[in-house]
Amino acid sequence: MRNKLYKWILWGVVVISVALFPHVVGIYYSNFFVAFAIFSLYAVTLNLLLGYMGVLSFGHAMFFGTGAYATAIALTHIKGFPLLPAVLVGGLAGGLLALILSPLLVRVSGTAFAMLTLAFGQLIFVVALKYREITGGEDGIGGYSIPPLNIPGVVSIDMTNQINFYYFAIAVIVVCLFILWFYTKTPFGSLVVGIRDNAMRIDYLGFKLPQIKAVNLIVCGTFAGIAGAVHALLMKLVSTVGVLDINASFVPIMMAYIGGVGSFFGPIIGSGVLHLLEDLVIRFTERIGLVNGAIFILVVLYAPMGLVGLFREAKAKWFHEEKVS
Amino acid sequence: MTILETKGLYHDFKGLQVLFDVNLQVQEGERHAVIGPNGAGKTTLFNVITGTYRPSRGHVFFKGRDITGARPHELTRIGMGRSFQITSTFNRLTAFQNIRLAVLSKRGIRFQMFRKVDGMGDITRETDEVLKRINLDRERDMPAGVLSYGKHRSLEISMALATDPDLVMLDEPTAGMSRDETHHAVELIRRLTEGKTLVIIEHDMDVVFSLADRITVLHYGQILATGPPGEIRQNQAVKDAYLGELEV
Amino acid sequence: MSPTAVLYVAQAIHGLAYGMLLFLVASGLTMIFGMMGILNIAHASFAMLSAYFCYQVLLMTENFWVALLVAPVVAGICGVLTERFLLRSVHKQGHLAELLITVGIMMVILEIVKAGWGAESLVVKIPQSLSGLVNFAGLTYPIYRLFVIGLSIVILGIMALILFKTRLGKIVRAAVSDADMVSALGINTPLVFMLVFGIGIWLAGVAGAVAAPLLTVFPGMADQLGMDAFVVVVVGGFGSLLGAFIVALFLGELNAYGIQFIPRLAPVLMFAFMAIVLAFKPMGLFGERE
Repeated sequence: MRNKLYKWILWGVVVISVALFPHVVGIYYSNFFVAFAIFSLYAVTLNLLLGYMGVLSFGHAMFFGTGAYATAIALTHIKGFPLLPAVLVGGLAGGLLALILSPLLVRVSGTAFAMLTLAFGQLIFVVALKYREITGGEDGIGGYSIPPLNIPGVVSIDMTNQINFYYFAIAVIVVCLFILWFYTKTPFGSLVVGIRDNAMRIDYLGFKLPQIKAVNLIVCGTFAGIAGAVHALLMKLVSTVGVLDINASFVPIMMAYIGGVGSFFGPIIGSGVLHLLEDLVIRFTERIGLVNGAIFILVVLYAPMGLVGLFREAKAKWFHEEKVS
Repeated sequence: MTILETKGLYHDFKGLQVLFDVNLQVQEGERHAVIGPNGAGKTTLFNVITGTYRPSRGHVFFKGRDITGARPHELTRIGMGRSFQITSTFNRLTAFQNIRLAVLSKRGIRFQMFRKVDGMGDITRETDEVLKRINLDRERDMPAGVLSYGKHRSLEISMALATDPDLVMLDEPTAGMSRDETHHAVELIRRLTEGKTLVIIEHDMDVVFSLADRITVLHYGQILATGPPGEIRQNQAVKDAYLGELEV
Repeated sequence: MSPTAVLYVAQAIHGLAYGMLLFLVASGLTMIFGMMGILNIAHASFAMLSAYFCYQVLLMTENFWVALLVAPVVAGICGVLTERFLLRSVHKQGHLAELLITVGIMMVILEIVKAGWGAESLVVKIPQSLSGLVNFAGLTYPIYRLFVIGLSIVILGIMALILFKTRLGKIVRAAVSDADMVSALGINTPLVFMLVFGIGIWLAGVAGAVAAPLLTVFPGMADQLGMDAFVVVVVGGFGSLLGAFIVALFLGELNAYGIQFIPRLAPVLMFAFMAIVLAFKPMGLFGERE
């Protein structure tokens, strides 16, 4: 009972902090927080494949990027395209891509899966660069503005106001994270984890393995696409840099690993750590990539379950010592 | 009724003939043991019957239906259950979570995404019941990977049984067990296959002779003999193949 | 000779040269995978590192041949150190961890290169002795590309000799096929691993150094080369040198002709082909190991 009370209080504090945040720290850090949230969602979708289903998606940027481009294209080409559909169209694009690729992706696992996703990720990157008429090539798509949030007949909230956008973006991402968290707690979620441990046994228990894998892939693709959509709105510019390039595929992997692949919140923590780190390190040197890479290597070598893993180990040790004494 | 039948079953791996004209018949309700020296093709036979492999030639019939080449998940859904020689459980999940997956399958709950699984009371109850029946209720929240060998094998066996199959296929369930563990395992198997049909691959002759109603002897991929334990014990060809291993 | 014929031949030479380079890179990659089960994501990064070393040595000694000799060796040493101190420690955690650590290494090499030499492209000039064209049978060929092809053939010939005619080569081939078996026979497998890894990196280093005058030396150079090498290994078959050879040459020609005639479709075809092979024949066209 006490535990539950503590949990509610903790969440209350978090909600209030997040709500008051932009008023306390200003625009720059509000946008920074939105970026952190976007990548948290993105990294969580990667972990639903890596930590939960046991496959490494090496080209995950293809879902993120497809979502971002879809939103940008919709806002640029269709006058008056409303806000919520703009976000949903990103999710739809990501999900559709996952659906199209799933017949091939469900056939493989392990290194082959990593290679296949790498190949597709690179393919989409190259397509985005070469098919200038649609994607703007290297320059990308920009110059669209964020449409207002319209609830017909009730209210119209101007999203060019950065504080309004902050609340909208955070709300969208929190809702998505909650949906995904709930998803992992359902019977279907437990099937996905089963696949990680022993795909053959899942087959022998009577479940259709390819279908389950496909559904999980589509869920991950859809929500990664939504993350991309929000990113497109935040940056008001979408190009391959940071969105479809190889770096964009590696960032969520780093975040998931550093935070901890064995927990739902690990990637969120990883996103926080990397964002804070970048903000700090950038004051001293441009070599943030080196710092990230070095930390990543250290984590893989010495703390493969990430920060959450270290925390759990420490907790177990503390409890053990309590018991003993 | 013949619940399981193979007709003219052949299987080869890249030219190596492993099964040769296997005609097996298992009657409903019986306990049927498949024995033979190492490399005789026993596990391959299982793999062909349970859908891991499609046989090179021949047919498999289950409950009168031709199931040749059907996939494992299809066969599980129509009432077949299988355990493996090398323990195949979800090692990072707890014993409870392992069994629960089987219970979910049995109940046909496959794409349920709108409820928390922990909140499904009847599923939890049934899972706990199964755990109690296989004496794993105390190890409920232990990851399968840290269970003692005997308990781990028990979990493996019960994964085959938890979907409530009509035909249970166990591949060397007592492999590597101590005398004591074997005894418990046999009792477990006997209890849990009450009213079901059992086909069991075994090397431990004590287990075979205490459980089996009928025995099939496989040798170099061919059936050497089939019959009740008494007959098999007397069969000269079988004795020669085993070189006296059957002295019980 | 008609102009189109000249064009075709020129493209064929370019394709052959690039294909040979690809094979140098991919051969090490496929042997490492066959033997150690590690897909070295950083493999092309070592080639890039060698290209930068080549530039540096050239700067310091003004002698292309010295640079060509030294750069790959230094890269090879870096490779050996990486294997010894990073890969070996992570081995017990499984293939996923090994894969991820090579990703980290790739990122670190990229940053080191940017830190050491900046982000702009560097120019490595073709040495006087190898520049220009040569006439033969009514066609002109660029000398340097012929040199690339020739050098690759020589190196690969030596490798083949060692692999198939010496005892050490036999051990290595056996290890690539089944490392556990070789270990059980009493051979010092960690040493063999280190050797093969080092040689594999050295081969990539040779490719990088030799390619420096041809491809632009810039931090992104490992991306294209690396991706192509993966395609070669995946399609050719993990652990299969013959497969790597055939696919590398094929890919080199596809690249050369593709860029000329179907620039937007070529990469799509290549990736599509790789995806199909991976999905239906995950061990590659000639591969044996998982």
